Parts: sequence; structure tokens; C-alpha cells
Amino acid sequence: MTGSALLTLSASLPWTFAAVLALVDGRRPWAGWLAVASLGASLAALVWLTFAVLRDGPVEVVAGGWPEDVGITLRADALGLTFAVVSVGVILVSLLYEVVNGVRSRTFPAVVLFMAAGLSGLFLTGDVFNFYVFFEISMTAAYILASYREQDHQVRAAFIFAVINLLGSVIFLIGIAALYHVTGSLDMRTIAERIGSVEPNSVIAIAAAIFVAFCLKLGLFPFHFWLPAVYVGSHPPVAAILSGALANIGGYGLLRFGGGILPEELELGSSAVLILGTASIIYGALQAISRRDTSEVLAYSAIGQAGYILIALGVGGPVGFAAAVLYAVVNSLNKSLLFLAAGLRGPMVGAAFAVGAFSVVGVPPAGGFLGKIALFKASLAAATISTSVALVTLVFLGGALSFLYSFQIYQRRFMAPRPEGKPSNPGARALMISLAAFVLAVGVWPQPLLHVCEAAASVLIGGSA
Amino acid sequence: MIVVVSLVISVIFGAGVFLVLQRDLLRVVVGIVLISNSANLFIIAAGLSRGRAPIYPLSDGDLEAAGVSDPLVQAMALTAIVISFSVAALLLALVYRLYASHGTSASKISPRPRCARPRVWRRRAPQSARRSPRRNRKR
Repeated sequence: MTGSALLTLSASLPWTFAAVLALVDGRRPWAGWLAVASLGASLAALVWLTFAVLRDGPVEVVAGGWPEDVGITLRADALGLTFAVVSVGVILVSLLYEVVNGVRSRTFPAVVLFMAAGLSGLFLTGDVFNFYVFFEISMTAAYILASYREQDHQVRAAFIFAVINLLGSVIFLIGIAALYHVTGSLDMRTIAERIGSVEPNSVIAIAAAIFVAFCLKLGLFPFHFWLPAVYVGSHPPVAAILSGALANIGGYGLLRFGGGILPEELELGSSAVLILGTASIIYGALQAISRRDTSEVLAYSAIGQAGYILIALGVGGPVGFAAAVLYAVVNSLNKSLLFLAAGLRGPMVGAAFAVGAFSVVGVPPAGGFLGKIALFKASLAAATISTSVALVTLVFLGGALSFLYSFQIYQRRFMAPRPEGKPSNPGARALMISLAAFVLAVGVWPQPLLHVCEAAASVLIGGSA
Repeated sequence: MIVVVSLVISVIFGAGVFLVLQRDLLRVVVGIVLISNSANLFIIAAGLSRGRAPIYPLSDGDLEAAGVSDPLVQAMALTAIVISFSVAALLLALVYRLYASHGTSASKISPRPRCARPRVWRRRAPQSARRSPRRNRKR
């Protein structure tokens, strides 16, 4: 199968099935399994496409058969595909978890598929306005998912989530309109070419708007206030989807817009980016240590972990970008494993959670070790020696703090005797064990992931030249 | 013309921000709608030019010379309007859901995130149950 056919297939499969499943009752088991199957097929197409792209280079399709500069481009390169595969994978695992446990709402499978469709479109588009549209589709699906189970506090959380993130979307939309105004194009590659000749002051304002919008999505320190309110009450698979798949929009957007389209502005603001990342790491870790509720600790931990991505981005260059991609990938695996495992009880769940906790800390056999090593490399590549020393200290300190909070939760949640607890569904537990095994496998055989991340970073470096 | 448009955008945006900061959830929704619409105006302003309608069989090949206004911003604004419309509908549904479960007017529901103690929240009984005397005696 050719690359362009695969690209069209992986972008359109979730759409078709989401539209079909929206009409049927999602609580029936067959509907859930149909959603799982279609998402699995789309993941397989994405993985196949990744192999093709790594071998032959990026694939482009202009929608509707329009000429090159007129139509809307879908562009699959290593960076977008890495994020797409991870996000769709996390969504698939969370959907499987919920289907095994029993879906409680008509719309759940369809909404999850719409979110996967929005995310895979967002990561594979080459057009900034299309990026906004796909982004809004996945965000709208996320607002609905946040209110899943319709408890009072969940609906309230969904409302907060929707209002805050809509403000972020509006800021992003204004940034896109301004980019169009100064460059006269919506195609990412054309904008990146023309942005050099635009008056710098206006570009700095645009870059600041886009940076704020993505930091809001990622939940970084000064923009994090909505995040605990949303993650705490939500149902485990929903929390896993929000933190493991949706937060990738922030990381990908910062890399694509900061590294690919506005590299000079990113370099100009690198000290601000580093300071915000540092504040996020320390604030998130300290807050996580001070909390007792499992999901609350994980929510604050998500704020801290997002800070590492920002630090790698602030360092920049091939090493920094590769570290940012790697950390984002590993982090979304960790977060989904932790959120899902924390929702279960019974034999082996504690082991799966412990693997996730070790991975967050960065202990060698787990996948998180790779992320930490890449961050060390990036810190050493920083511009001045004092920055390098400060960053290395920070990564150590952050690791130590995350060790503390991860095992505090482990102790409270899994070591305390729980007489009333009935073991959870064995299918869901088996799923958790296989996800934990996957995290370990990534740590034991890191070569493929490292290769993909380097390819992804080289896309950005090539784009900025 | 651009000065007038930017004034309009800033007034609408400011009014929207004011409404979002209110405690009444319906006002928050109206504020979000206003803010989204100021963004739509901003998109239009990004390609603001006087010209003929951009209907396809153009008489001249060169668009600049023909004096055709920019069609792309209008397409973008249309898409953004549809998106903000659907999200406003979703927000209203959420507000209605909260209104129905609280049984009070929406203005009494604070949007304050009480995330610090979710358990206390979850255990909170419906108002009718809390008012019953037996429940009070237990406490």
C-alpha cells in the first residue's frame, strides 16, 4: 500500500466509525468492541505509515485533489507520526479498559473515536488553520469525556475545563489569524519560510500568544490551575486519555510551532521557557508530595512532568528537541499507566503501578529512564556551563521529589490492607500488566524509540533551516 | 477602518472577559460566546480589504489587480463561527445539567473548583435528604 493511501486511511478510519457509532447505543458490548477494532486498525495503519515514512521520507496528500498551493495539505512526518501513534495507542488502551469494565453511557465509544480522529488529524496536518479545527474537535470531545459518568463534580469539572480551554483556543485562533496576516499563508512550511522577513516585533507578540495557548493545554505552572480540578474527580480511563493523549497537543504544538515555525523567537525566549519549566517541576512535585488523594497527587505530578518537556524545548537544538519528543512519549505512557492502575485493585495491580512509578522516577529498567537520560544530555548541551549545572541539579532534584510522591501513593494505595476491596475485572488487570510490560520493554530495548525521536527532531531542524 | 474594527474587537473581548469572571454560570457562557466572536472579528480583520465578491469564474487572472477581497478569512471565520456555536451549545447543556441537579437558579452555583476535598463533595447528600431531621440527629 502506498504512503498516501495509508495516510488517508489512518485519518479517515476513526471518522467513519465515530459517525457510525454515534447512532448506536454505546453501552452494548458489540459497539464497544467495534470501536476498539476500528481504533486498533487505525493504530496499525499509523504504525505502518511510520515505517514507510522512516524509510522513504515524509508523505503529503493535498485534500480533494487540489493543486499544491491551493488545497489543504495532510503531511505525515516523523514528528507528527510519533505523537499520533502514542496518542492513539493511549486512547486505545483506555477505551479497552472501559469496554472490559462496562461502558455506562451511550456516547462514550463514539466520543472517544471522535477524539482519536481529531488528534490524528491534528498531528498529521500541514495547515495551521486545519490544526485549529482538529484541535477544537478533540477538545470538544474532551469536554464531553470529562463529564463522563455525570456525577455532579464531574459535570462541574467539565465546565471549568471547557471554559479555561476555550479561552486558550481563542488565544491560539488569534495567533493563527495574526500569522496569516503577517505571512499571507496558512501552510506551515510556507509560513516558516516567510516568517524570517516579517517585522520581528509583531512575530514576538504572535509567538507569545501561541506559547500561552499551548502552555494552557499542557498545564504548565502559571496556567495549571484548571488541571487538578479536572483530573481529580474524573473516571480513570478519562483521566488517562486527558493526561496521556490530549496533553500531547501541548507538547506537539510547542515543538511544531516553537521549533519548526518560530525558531528564532523560541531562542529569544529560551530563558523564560527554562524558568517556567523549572517553576513547573518544583511546584508540581512539592504540591504532589503534600497531597493525599491518589488522583490529586497524579494531577500535580502531571504539572511537574510537563515542566521537563519545556526544559528540553528551552535548551533546543537537535539534542533538546529529541529529548522533548522522547520525554513527551514516555510521559504519556507513564501517566496513562498510573491513572489506569490507580483505578483498579487486586493482585498484580500494585506491581503494574510500581512499574509506572519507577518509570516516572527514572529508574533504569523502566522506560522513564530513557527520558531522564535524554534530559541529562540536553542539559549538558545547554548554552552556558552555569545553565547546565543548574539544569542537571534540577533534574536530580525533580527525580528525588518524584520518588517521594510516587511511593507515598504506592504505600497508601497498595500497601495498606483493604478488607472491603473486591478484586477488579481480570481483563482490566491483564491489560494493565501488559501496559506495564510495554513500558519495561521500551526501557530494555530503547533503540527503536531513540531512532524515531531523533528522526522527529531532525524534521524540526530541517524545517527551521 | 482598521482602527474602528480593532476598537470593536477590544470592546467585545473586554465585555466577554468581564462576564467570564462573574459567578453566574450563564454569564460565563455568554462571556465565552462574546470572546469567541471577538476572535472571529479578528480573523476577518486579518484580511480586511475592500473589493468585489470572490465568486469563482473571475474575469481577470490576477487577483490583486481585479480588486477581489480575500476569501480565505471569510472561510476561516465561517468555520470558527460553527465551532464556537457548537461549543456554546455544549456549555449550555452542561449548565443546564448543573441547574437540574442543584435544583436552584444557576446564579447560586459557584464555578469555584473545590478540588481540595473531593470526597466530602461526593458524599454530599441531595438537599432534601440533608434537611430531614433524622439526618441532622445523626450528625
